[in-house]
Amino acid sequence: MPIKSATKPVSVNPLKVGQPLGGVLALQGMYRSMPLLHGAQGCSAFSKALLTRHFREPIAVQTSALQEMDVIFDADRNLEEALDHIWSKHHPDVIGVISTALTEVAGVDFQSRVKAFKRERALKDSLLFSVSLPDFHGSLETGYSSTVESLMDAVLGLARGKSPKKRRRTQVNLLPASYLTAGDVMEIKDIIASFGLEVISLPDISTSLSGHLLTGFSPLTRGGTPLDSACQMLESSCTIAIGASMERPARRLTHAAGIPYHLFDGLSGLAASDAFIHFLQKISREPAPVRFRWQRENLLDSMLDAHFYYSGASAVVALEPDHMLSTAAWLEEMGVELKRLITPCSTPALLKTEREVWIGDLDDAEESAQGVDLWISNSHGRKGAARAGASFIPAGLPVYDELGAHTSVSVGYRGTMEWVNKVGNVLLAERGKGG
Amino acid sequence: MEAAVSNGRLEVSCGNKIPKSTPCPRPVPGEASGGCSFDGAQITLIPIADAAHLVHGPIACLGNSWESRGSLSSGPELSAYGFTTDLGEQDIIFGGEQKLHESIRYIVSRFAPPAVFVYTTCVTALTGEDIEGVCKAESERLGTPIIPVNSPGFVGSKNLGTRLAGDVLFQQVIGTTEPEQTTSHDVNLIGEYNIAGEMWHIERLMQQTGMSILSRITGDGRFREVGWAHRAKVNMVVCSRALLGLAVQMERKYSIPYFEGSFYGARETSYSLRQMAYLTGDRDVERRVDKLAAREEMRLSLELEPYRKQLKGKRAVLYTGGVKSWSVITALQELGIKVVGVGTNKSTAEDVSRIAARIGDDAEYIPEGGARQILKTVRSRKADMVIAGGRNMYMALKEQVPFVDINQERHKAYAGYDGLLSLAKQLVHTLQHPVWGLAAKLAPWEEETEFAD
Repeated sequence: MPIKSATKPVSVNPLKVGQPLGGVLALQGMYRSMPLLHGAQGCSAFSKALLTRHFREPIAVQTSALQEMDVIFDADRNLEEALDHIWSKHHPDVIGVISTALTEVAGVDFQSRVKAFKRERALKDSLLFSVSLPDFHGSLETGYSSTVESLMDAVLGLARGKSPKKRRRTQVNLLPASYLTAGDVMEIKDIIASFGLEVISLPDISTSLSGHLLTGFSPLTRGGTPLDSACQMLESSCTIAIGASMERPARRLTHAAGIPYHLFDGLSGLAASDAFIHFLQKISREPAPVRFRWQRENLLDSMLDAHFYYSGASAVVALEPDHMLSTAAWLEEMGVELKRLITPCSTPALLKTEREVWIGDLDDAEESAQGVDLWISNSHGRKGAARAGASFIPAGLPVYDELGAHTSVSVGYRGTMEWVNKVGNVLLAERGKGG
Repeated sequence: MEAAVSNGRLEVSCGNKIPKSTPCPRPVPGEASGGCSFDGAQITLIPIADAAHLVHGPIACLGNSWESRGSLSSGPELSAYGFTTDLGEQDIIFGGEQKLHESIRYIVSRFAPPAVFVYTTCVTALTGEDIEGVCKAESERLGTPIIPVNSPGFVGSKNLGTRLAGDVLFQQVIGTTEPEQTTSHDVNLIGEYNIAGEMWHIERLMQQTGMSILSRITGDGRFREVGWAHRAKVNMVVCSRALLGLAVQMERKYSIPYFEGSFYGARETSYSLRQMAYLTGDRDVERRVDKLAAREEMRLSLELEPYRKQLKGKRAVLYTGGVKSWSVITALQELGIKVVGVGTNKSTAEDVSRIAARIGDDAEYIPEGGARQILKTVRSRKADMVIAGGRNMYMALKEQVPFVDINQERHKAYAGYDGLLSLAKQLVHTLQHPVWGLAAKLAPWEEETEFAD
């Protein structure tokens, strides 16, 4: 569990993003929802622009548009006005009020304001909740999982402690981590469904940010988990959490509704995929569909075909914590030497891993990337990788200089195979250059 | 710390040189869009390619925004580095000034930049950090200009931030260095950010007429070069009313005449070059501009011919920031496109009158409302396409409306004569793309069910 961090006073080429961005991302996976950033206009404008560039989709988000005097005198007034406006104009199913560093430092009690608004308006069929996400803690991953946890709380609140009369044996919940792409979530849902299980994902960006044409413009999200499906999660027989950051929301559900959860740190790589399929086999009491046998064979064959190029290769990986651990796992299966693992913030999962992890930025990646073959990070790393002479593989968020990053699949046998080949091709091309 | 806005000019409406209209209206919570002042300040200053830009605040301000614009540099890349003090909770409680001191020293010792711009953010403005004091102390200690940019996000809009950045340049940078040599044909370009390399194209045109750019403010600019901007003979404000104030101040202090111009469209390009030449007061240069304009316009009209045929009568909705609205209209009109809707949400009264002079009452004016209003106009005016910024791109695509990106994130240069040709090509390729036909068709099974009904 050795966690190290660089000693620079300043962050150079940061890997970190603000927590509210994770909150906005999570809410994109709720149907007809609107995240409301309680902060200055820029807080939401930057989040919107960044997510739009990454997903190449319209992003739902609004702001309380705080100005200097509002912060000094009455930020509540803006919040109320914003809620009123969104409410009366769009009638969303879900509104998540997300604080920012600005409102946290100003010390406004926005959470009781949100509660009061709920009481005054007697909101019944809709979900209004708040989550505290200051930028001076954590990063995207923590912002996302905290939002899912608050969302889960709010859903439990709707049920008012009434636990369902009976459990549905064939219905399971899925809590996908922030790093999973729309394609990944779709693939995981598909794998689970192929065992005859019904799955409710919270959130579900696979139906909101995977790209589809639906007519009728709406500033709200146009896909994702419908609110009534979220309420039905209380009837499921178990919860599958992918990524250690999703353990807390999963545990909420266990405590409140007695639904057991099973945590998978990641689903990339042969071992992780095996564990997942085996688990599904157990809970569904169904044999694994034959296509997974084929996919497993295909993956193993690809790994053998590719291992020549991976042999002796080294990598620097700079990603959000869960993503980094999951990527490290499959790279290790391919025999890649992990020169340095860098992540923007510390999480409990990092304390458990045997690997040496650095809390740092892309500049730290650059420092350790001299003579390294692969550099895996978000698009901001491209220039540093070029300076260090490493081959650049875009992953994480934002990826704005490659098409389809948000729908590419890295989970299960099929997704792992896709990445084994993708990265293998880069190594192969490098070898062709004779370098 | 004294806020930069409060030095007696708060009443000036954003970007307007004379305070005749009301200040920027308060944004509507729950219905606001667009960036903040911090964003605007960065946009203006980051293109100074050899300087370091340090954001003093929690991570989001830089972490969520860096590398989001298409300003290109012909050399140094330091301004593309993201620097932030990335304040944590402890820093905010106990104060981040020490961290700022150390960060500045670290940057100067490692990168040796000609200057460091230090940006205030909402949080450090709120906690009352003495950023100016820190910058002053470090400037003296290090012998490198450390320049505070006091434009936290919550003071107002993006435009205000641009204007505040202009003030920073005027008060703390311009007049601090001297050029090695000057000529009587030196021009400053103000508010040209070298998006997709547009500035280089303009520079080539100017060189052909014997004019040269003394200071690029700020696209592909260098810190020292901005410092000697006061020695220019002419200021051209390129499509950025927020920096008009800078030109006005320079005229007052250094007697440099300025004019507002644009390089979108052949007519505007020729006009801008002529205006520049006129203000240098050199008849030879004027004659050379005339020749160049005649030659380029002739060549362009031949090359544009096939595209004009295909674009004639097409209807477009244009939704872009401030000044670009009127300058792009001219370019589109030269291509035979009818502008049937135009966004005016960020335009001044002057901009609107310029728009009106170009399209009169034929078009719908869209003062606000963003995506929803754009689409409404597209339908009611039967427009063939939307020309706007990236923010509205995916909204248009979802509705299967052809879209051309005109804002800062794009990767194509549309300025100058060749730029108009590029724009024409882009428009034709977009309009005629096979995907529109394919997207308009139903899936075969859907057609069959319709049959069955």
